Parts: sequence; structure tokens; C-alpha cells
Amino acid sequence: MTPEGVVTGGWPFVWAAYGLTFAAFIIYGVTLITKLREERARAAEDGNRT
Amino acid sequence: MEVPDPSTSKTPYGFLTVGVILLAIGTYIGLAVAPAETYMGDVQRIMYVHVPSAWSGLLAITFAFGCAVAFLFRSDFRWDARMEASIEVGVLLAFLLCMQGAIWAKPTWGVWWDWDPRLTTTAVLFFAFLGILALRRFVDDPVKRGIWSAVATIIAYVDVPIVYFSVRWWNSLHQTQSSPNTVSSQFYAPLRLNAFGVLFLMIGFIMLRSRIATYRLQHELAAPPVLTGEEAGELA
Repeated sequence: MTPEGVVTGGWPFVWAAYGLTFAAFIIYGVTLITKLREERARAAEDGNRT
Repeated sequence: MEVPDPSTSKTPYGFLTVGVILLAIGTYIGLAVAPAETYMGDVQRIMYVHVPSAWSGLLAITFAFGCAVAFLFRSDFRWDARMEASIEVGVLLAFLLCMQGAIWAKPTWGVWWDWDPRLTTTAVLFFAFLGILALRRFVDDPVKRGIWSAVATIIAYVDVPIVYFSVRWWNSLHQTQSSPNTVSSQFYAPLRLNAFGVLFLMIGFIMLRSRIATYRLQHELAAPPVLTGEEAGELA
């Protein structure tokens, strides 16, 4: 019997919180690296044109 | 005002790598080794990502505040780029903070959201800085954009101490700040590892995002390209 006032069965909430956090970090990190490459390429292009 | 070339050092990737390693170890200990909390059970494990997100989020916004002040006093676009970067990372962490909090609130408070002082002031923080990012998108002139967003950042920063002290100033469902005296020693390791992990990720993200902002500023402020005869003919 579960004692009163104790939260049980919390793992789905834990997975949701960790999943959301890590997904956000991965997506943001990958986006930053991709955008940085694009901006570097554009800067090189600007340098060639001027 | 000139924009110097952004650094090409590998330092941000170093911060990201260390951050990922610390976060991986901290998460493993937090999920598989540390015991469940007596009353909240396994749900309490959300603390190992929730608290580090809060610390680093407020730190990122505080850095943005410092960059805003530095930009206004020194008129150096490097501070503008750093401000934009730290606001964006701060907004990301504030968003995660609210989401993790809502996921934690449902099984413990019975609701996803409550207009509690800590939750409300954090939501205000998120939307205020999201608004500043939106403002930057709508202003074409880089000088006006930098000044306006720096002033807005300084004004919006007033909310940070309110977020921090809200749990002491008002009756709040949210617990007050934890300290080593109020947290079991079994929870120290995952909390500290994840705190440093998120901190290192935050620094790496800000450095990379700042470089992107600097490249964009350089592009905006660059002299118009010299057109070849063919290109000029096409435009005419």
C-alpha cells in the first residue's frame, strides 16, 4: 500500500522532461553549427565580391 | 562603427564537448544511481535538469544585461553580438525551465500551470526577452537596433531579481531556494555535474551564436559589392 502524500509512477514525467531538454539542446546546437557554416561561406563570398 | 572578424578558435566546441560529457555522467547518476526522493518519488529527478536550467538561464540573461551596458558605454558591436547571443540562449533555457516546471507540477501539484509568483515572473521573463529578440528582427538599422535592444534588456532585467526573490517575498507553491543544508548529500553529485554541464553548454552556445551575429553584422555593414558589367546590366 502506498503511503498518503507520496507521488508514485513518475517516470513518464521524468522521461518527458529529460527528452524535451536534450532534444532542445541537440536541435539548437546543430542549428548553430549549420548557421555558422552558412554565415562563414557568405562572409567568404562577400570578401570575394568586394 | 566597425565589426572585427569573429574568432575562429575551437574553444566553443571544447565547452560543448565538456558540457555534453558532464551532462551525460550527471544524468546517468541522476536517473540510475541517486535514490528517489521520499515524498516526490522519481518525479524529483526532474530537479537535476530543472535547477541547472534555471541557474544557467538567469546567468545568460545577467550576461546579456552586462553586454547591454557595455554596448551603450563603448559602442562596440561585439557587445551587441554577445547580447543577442546570450538573450537567445537565455530565452531557450527559460522556455525549458517553464516546460520542465510544468511537467514536474502536474504529478506533484495536480496542475500543469498555476499563476504562482515564481511561475508568473518566470513566464514574464521569457516573454520579455522573446519580445526583445522580435524587436531586433524588426529594426533594420544596426545602430538603432543595438541601442533599443540594449535599453530594453536593461529594463527587462528588473524581472530577474523578482524571479529569484519571488518565493521569499510572496506565498508561493514553488519551494524556496535549495542549499546544501536542505538537500540530501545523495543528490549533490548529479545536481552539480548537470549544473556545470548546462553551464558549459550555455557558454559554448553563446560563443557560437555570438559569432553568427558578428558575421551577420559584418554583412549588413559591408560596403555594397562591386558589380560586374553583366550584373549591372541585369539590374538595369
